[in-house]
Amino acid sequence: MSEAQSPDHESYLAQLIEQAQQKKLAEQRDWRLLLHYRKGLFGEYESEQDDPGFFLSPNGKTNPEAELAATLAQFFSSELVGRSKQPAQCAFVARYHWLKEQLTFDSARLPQLACERFDRWYEDFEVDSVSLIFPSSYLNNPASMFGHTLFRVDQKGQTEQTRILSYTINYAADVPPNSGLLYPIRGIFGSYRGYFSTIPYYLKVQQYRDIENRDIWEYRLNLTENQLRRFLMHTWELGNAYFDYFYFKENCSYHILALLDYADPNLHLTDEFLFWTVPADTVRLIISKPGLVSGITYRPSRSTIIKRKRESLPAAERDLAQRVTQDLGELTSPAFTHLTPPKQAFVLDLASDFLRSQIETKKDPKPEWKERNRAVLTARSRLRIPSEEFSVRPFAKQPELGHKMLQATLGGGWRNNDTFEEATFRGGYHSLLDPEAGYTPDAQIEMASITVRHYNRADQTRVERATLLNLLSLSPMDSVFRSPSWKLNVGMNTIRHNGCQLCSNGVFSGGLGGAKELRLLNREVLFAFAEAEANVSRAYDDMHRVGGGATIGILSDLAERWKVMATGSYLRFPLGDKSDEFRWYVGSRFTIAQNWAVRLEYNHRNHDNDILFSVQAFF
Amino acid sequence: MLKKVLMFSIAVLFGAQAGLAMASNPDTGPGCGLGKLAWGEYKGQKEILPQVLQTTTNGTFWSQTFGISFGTSGCTNDGKIMGEHKTTMFASLNFDALTAEMAQGQGEHLTSLATLMGVPAERHAEFFAMTQERYTSLVQAGETSPVALVKSLNDAIAGHPVLAQASIR
Repeated sequence: MSEAQSPDHESYLAQLIEQAQQKKLAEQRDWRLLLHYRKGLFGEYESEQDDPGFFLSPNGKTNPEAELAATLAQFFSSELVGRSKQPAQCAFVARYHWLKEQLTFDSARLPQLACERFDRWYEDFEVDSVSLIFPSSYLNNPASMFGHTLFRVDQKGQTEQTRILSYTINYAADVPPNSGLLYPIRGIFGSYRGYFSTIPYYLKVQQYRDIENRDIWEYRLNLTENQLRRFLMHTWELGNAYFDYFYFKENCSYHILALLDYADPNLHLTDEFLFWTVPADTVRLIISKPGLVSGITYRPSRSTIIKRKRESLPAAERDLAQRVTQDLGELTSPAFTHLTPPKQAFVLDLASDFLRSQIETKKDPKPEWKERNRAVLTARSRLRIPSEEFSVRPFAKQPELGHKMLQATLGGGWRNNDTFEEATFRGGYHSLLDPEAGYTPDAQIEMASITVRHYNRADQTRVERATLLNLLSLSPMDSVFRSPSWKLNVGMNTIRHNGCQLCSNGVFSGGLGGAKELRLLNREVLFAFAEAEANVSRAYDDMHRVGGGATIGILSDLAERWKVMATGSYLRFPLGDKSDEFRWYVGSRFTIAQNWAVRLEYNHRNHDNDILFSVQAFF
Repeated sequence: MLKKVLMFSIAVLFGAQAGLAMASNPDTGPGCGLGKLAWGEYKGQKEILPQVLQTTTNGTFWSQTFGISFGTSGCTNDGKIMGEHKTTMFASLNFDALTAEMAQGQGEHLTSLATLMGVPAERHAEFFAMTQERYTSLVQAGETSPVALVKSLNDAIAGHPVLAQASIR
């Protein structure tokens, strides 16, 4: 197959393999990073790569040394290998350059092959630096609940205005269309393959900023020329292969971090993530490395832009802009014609922003929106002045200022006529009362949380509460944005019911409602839900009850660090244990530091009163 | 530089004509399958993005590194848009943002398009003013195809006293 089966080739290969063994190259960190080997519990190696085409030895996935020898052997051949069908020197260009450096290949005995495809691909980046891009979370799409990360390869000579022309390096699961409800489940258990792709940034910006309404944060990284080269060479190798995609750990964030790890092996980024990789955590980690981030840029989503523009206008002009989107006759009204041209331009731009957001986010955009947008823009073009820059402040602070994901809580208090102490561990992620910096406002995702409580008089230690999943999304409505709010809760708590003092109670509930933002003191969100709930407990007749009701509540920032939430509910349960219940809750949180908070909470249900003071740490 | 773009656009136009004869879809761009992707009706997030970012699992997928061709099969080499398609692809995939910015006389998409077309940075202000002035006719051209939009822009540059000067380089 290969053309150079000469004795010299054989002997030079043997010599290189021996040299590599003497230098213990297969045990070096660079080789492990190149092949994505992880050490198992018993010191054995296994690569996270799942594509057989990525290995040149049949045992490559578990044997670093055999893979190194097979790689060296393949370098003598121009046979096309791997998914991208290139000679090994080109398909595995990062391995080749690293081994060439370590073993100082003799070019007369191991000639270097030309790799036009790689060269063209590399040149086309015109790489100047690399940025980490973080589109923030988007609660109404479960797949993006935690945000996402990708890289952008910034070109030489680019300005802020031409950034969108860069390519991104993105790792994502290849999900077949119409995968429906199985999608999250399959994503969690690794039945999709993840691939790298280089999608132009303008498409990514369209996706996040215009269609999904997610703010984007960009972190420019300080990498040396040599590190950039290593980064792109390794990207090229991975573009040629796939990993099985695991939503929680081996996800978008994890595998792109591996590229940075190879670019600068001293960073040790992927080592930090054992069980799951949360995109915001990876941002916090990268920020924490001294000197790695040299600049931060914010790109507001379209809905953020529209909200900020509306805030900046007096009420009359805000309403005028809104009327323009519904009736073009407004353009000839005195209210509009009396404005100065820059003001007219601002109103028209806002109207167009709104129409475009409707066209791009609604399921069945009305054809007349497109026509109206065209007419608004035509009117705008007649003004013959460029729009002024409008700088937008984010509603949610940047992700690295947010609290960490895991939470441990110690607390104590009174319940009815007993006292208790309790400890809680929460796997993730953020609740409405947690310090809000860095998180999407008015959204809650709590999962895998368990509370153990000891009652002193009853002398009983029990699992007091557990949450599998508790989601809540408040979308304040105004005359422009009218998304529903919703909530979903699966877990258990401890109830007092029908003479049972402390009974475990399974809870399944969901609700749909609306929210409204007020600015009375600082910022308040009022909300109301219609909801359904099913309970399972031995405290009930027939072991269960099913019913529904309503909740109203308010969430309020009293001060920078002080947040309060109050809710009241009434539920009737006509099925199973026929009963009804009044509940109210008042909770207050004070932030001590980025990862420390204290809470005081009061929970009432029918004849059951519970007061809890707790200290929370995030880690 | 601009002359080159102009010559190229005309060449592409003929290429597209040839394409028309072969494909029944008149929106198909210059020889690579943009299809109705960004040119037809946007159907909202649920449909457009999977389309744009679709990975093709045909034969080319396996022979390409970065075999992701984001719905533009035939326009890319190893996941990179071929040089000659860069401008029309950009115009096509960002049509809505571009037309809005033309009307508004500024914006990052318009700046990026000017850069792709070789308009020097110090002439961007004139270029923006020109697109604002000709907004209606440019949008009409764009309705037919991205190629026609780029061609109209080139014609406008060639007929513009200041911009034409800049292009003789």
